[in-house]
Amino acid sequence: MKIKRILLASLSLLSFCGVVSAADAGKDLYTKTCGVCHAAGIAGAPRYGNAADWQPRIAAGTARLYASALKGTPKGMPQKGGNLAASDADVKAAVDYMLASVKTAAAPAKPAATATPVAAAAAAAPAAPPAASVAAPVTNPSANTSGVSAADINSFNRLLKPIGKRNPPPAEDGIHDPTNDGTLALMAPLAAYGPLPKSLAGNRINWVKAIEENKINPRWDRNDPAATPVVIDLNIVREVKGSMPDVVYPHKQHTEWLDCSNCHPAIFTPQKGANAISMAAILLGEKCGVCHGKVAFPVSECRLCHSKKKEVRPAQAAAAAAK
Amino acid sequence: MFRKCLWQRVLLVLLAVAATLAMDIDDARAEYGDIVINNYSDAAGMRPAIFPHWFHRVRFRCKVCHADLGFKFKAGGNEINMVKIIDGQYCGACHNGELAWSVENCNLCHSAKPGTQTQVHESTVQKLAPATLQKK
Repeated sequence: MKIKRILLASLSLLSFCGVVSAADAGKDLYTKTCGVCHAAGIAGAPRYGNAADWQPRIAAGTARLYASALKGTPKGMPQKGGNLAASDADVKAAVDYMLASVKTAAAPAKPAATATPVAAAAAAAPAAPPAASVAAPVTNPSANTSGVSAADINSFNRLLKPIGKRNPPPAEDGIHDPTNDGTLALMAPLAAYGPLPKSLAGNRINWVKAIEENKINPRWDRNDPAATPVVIDLNIVREVKGSMPDVVYPHKQHTEWLDCSNCHPAIFTPQKGANAISMAAILLGEKCGVCHGKVAFPVSECRLCHSKKKEVRPAQAAAAAAK
Repeated sequence: MFRKCLWQRVLLVLLAVAATLAMDIDDARAEYGDIVINNYSDAAGMRPAIFPHWFHRVRFRCKVCHADLGFKFKAGGNEINMVKIIDGQYCGACHNGELAWSVENCNLCHSAKPGTQTQVHESTVQKLAPATLQKK
């Protein structure tokens, strides 16, 4: 009995798949990839839901829009939005998803037109085995309860912030007041980040590399653009307990940004071995945590600090040999 | 005995991290290192001020503000007020109409949602102990 039910449910699900998964795939791809630019209109991208942005493009024909999305344009649209892993069908579905946003927004008076595909889908479902119409209401809510498509339930890093939600423009970042005129005049992070080297945490920008590669040249003196920092090239190795690699503290990268007085002597006594540092203290915003976890890369990037492989001590070597 | 306590503490901290990381996913959207300063703003009927680290570090190294201008590494810990800024201290060292736009552009800094608390947004500390749980 139970098996029969599952069979019926999967049959009805199959008949839905053609329509539902295409729309979901389009929305998914938009959220993960396209929305990075098309939500805020970065680099002149036509904005989601903004009919004026899309009108001239729609006039040129949907086929041309698909082609632009798939192959990219000289104006700045990357091939497949930069997500080369996406299938052609998904990219087209994402285009359809964005087009639907302007059609519904531009013509609220005739919802029948946009509702037609849905109605057609509903009509198509019972046209399959008659019993499927009984099972359909059972499968439908389970697939769509949380507004997350079925494909996302088991997706990797399900709870992490998707690309589309990283580095939002001020008006959408949750702390700026979108009703404030000034908010709209502020620069969006992604507008600045374009040419900068990427990282996996924080602003998702590798700031140290950005300076090394001369992608940015922040002033050392607020009034004198020619002033340069006094860079000290001195590594301090901290041996750590446990099995983590030892920490190498590079003065070089720090003195590119900071003055000695920023850390010494208030945060760190300038003497090797004189500072008790623990990960708990860092997590709570002390020692390295004064910056790391607030403006510099956070503790999730373990190996950027714990980078020196431990030397095998004689006692350990003997124990290993005895085994 | 001491060791056992230590482990319990570490475990607690880790649990707190895990729990808050899981909770905050949707709420936390601000840019990493954005500082909201609400020492006096709410009481004065202004929106709280937001300092975006990312924007400033593209243009200035940390040393300029944190050594030359005396900004302490503490959100809300500098007792900045408009009199000091107009006098050329703190933000006013640059926001004077010469190096950067000046103080008549109130809304550009005072741009946070009213009631937003003083804190470093997206920071590890914020995730460990959200401002709503922190003691005033």
